Amino acid sequence: MKALEVAKKDLRIEFRTKGTLNLMILFALVTSMMFSVSIPMSLAEKVAPSLLWLVFIFVGMLGYSRAFLKEVETETLEGLKISPIAPTSVLIGKILYNLVLMILIEIIILPIFIGLFNLDVANPIMMLVAITIGNVGFVIVVSSLSILVIKSKMREMLLPVLIFPIVFPIITSTILAVRKSIVGNLEGILSPIALIVGFSIIMFVVACLTFEYAFSD
Amino acid sequence: MKAVELKDVVKKFGKFKALDGITLSIERGESIALLGPNGAGKTTIVKLISGLLKPTKGEVKVFGKVPWKNYEVRRMMGIVSHNTFLYDDLTAYENLQFYCRLYDADEGRIDEVLEFFGLKSRKHDLVRNFSRGMKQRLSIARAILHDPLLLILDEPTAGLDIEGRRELMEYVAKVGREKTIIFTTHNVKEAEEICEKVAIICNGKLIHFGEIESDLEKVYLRAVGYEGT
Repeated sequence: MKALEVAKKDLRIEFRTKGTLNLMILFALVTSMMFSVSIPMSLAEKVAPSLLWLVFIFVGMLGYSRAFLKEVETETLEGLKISPIAPTSVLIGKILYNLVLMILIEIIILPIFIGLFNLDVANPIMMLVAITIGNVGFVIVVSSLSILVIKSKMREMLLPVLIFPIVFPIITSTILAVRKSIVGNLEGILSPIALIVGFSIIMFVVACLTFEYAFSD
Repeated sequence: MKAVELKDVVKKFGKFKALDGITLSIERGESIALLGPNGAGKTTIVKLISGLLKPTKGEVKVFGKVPWKNYEVRRMMGIVSHNTFLYDDLTAYENLQFYCRLYDADEGRIDEVLEFFGLKSRKHDLVRNFSRGMKQRLSIARAILHDPLLLILDEPTAGLDIEGRRELMEYVAKVGREKTIIFTTHNVKEAEEICEKVAIICNGKLIHFGEIESDLEKVYLRAVGYEGT
């Protein structure tokens, strides 16, 4: 329940200031448009899943890591640390907050991206499922690891270096699942999705078990 | 059971020894001033008691529990520091409501504490529009919202105007008999005004511990080596 309070507080601040959300939307729009004008339409179907994920990765890296960073900038992280709240509840609260941002970004960017690339998606529901599951895994990894780098002056460089090797299985599996759902070849689509789900669960459990050490000084 | 117990506590930051073998015990209901010059180690002691830091060596217990391991013991503490722990983009009421829910406190107390600190008329204003003094008053309101047994005041008068300081002293005097109070300051007068006991810290060491007597200023200057300079 306290995790929900943390998420609600962050969402209230975000909807009031719109600092992170506007930045994420703007960045996603710009990159999507740049990709759409530079890639020939004949290649769109083949490269769209990778480009779509590139957009989500850049946007996610930019936005999801800010959940903890904002607490450092506003000097409120210690307020959470001295409160009777388990570090895992803080982590879950931040993941929930980032998931809401992720859903909003998906709702806004996906139709625009599909329109820009003139994609004829054979199985839109499966595409949505694959992207959402992939993004959930990505949110879990970024939210958990961002606490490790928030005190570093090199955090913008450190975070991608830390994250990319860890999220690589999520990225490749999601791209595969999205490609299959675009062309309508659903044979074998469950294995990449199962891999993402399994990987995300493992990452979540590991994050919960280790977060206390990362959260304390 | 003692309110706070520190046994031979050492705290190192890298090679720097911030605290060197501090042993201190505070009974329930006692009010104690941690007096010392800047950089003496007062805030490090406060951070160890509040669970923000782990000791390098030794033992820290609050109401018999280790604060950095036990989150529930933090419900018994209220902390006011230089940092207000307030969210600028939330209103005064929303800030207190958030902390109220983290501490499982009665939300009915929000209006009560806002009224006490003269902030009720500004309760729906964003904290970013508050002056430094108003933020500090709201921070004190946040710390006492859950009616803690142990009140830790880490240089709480910093940034307060005369009125805010008077209100804080009034509150501390009012609750002083029923709560344990730890008050860090480098101001001898403030220590005399609020506390019964004093612990003088200098260079991470406990130099003097005992009842506050009329010659505290002399004792302090002698302890920190300023006497005669």
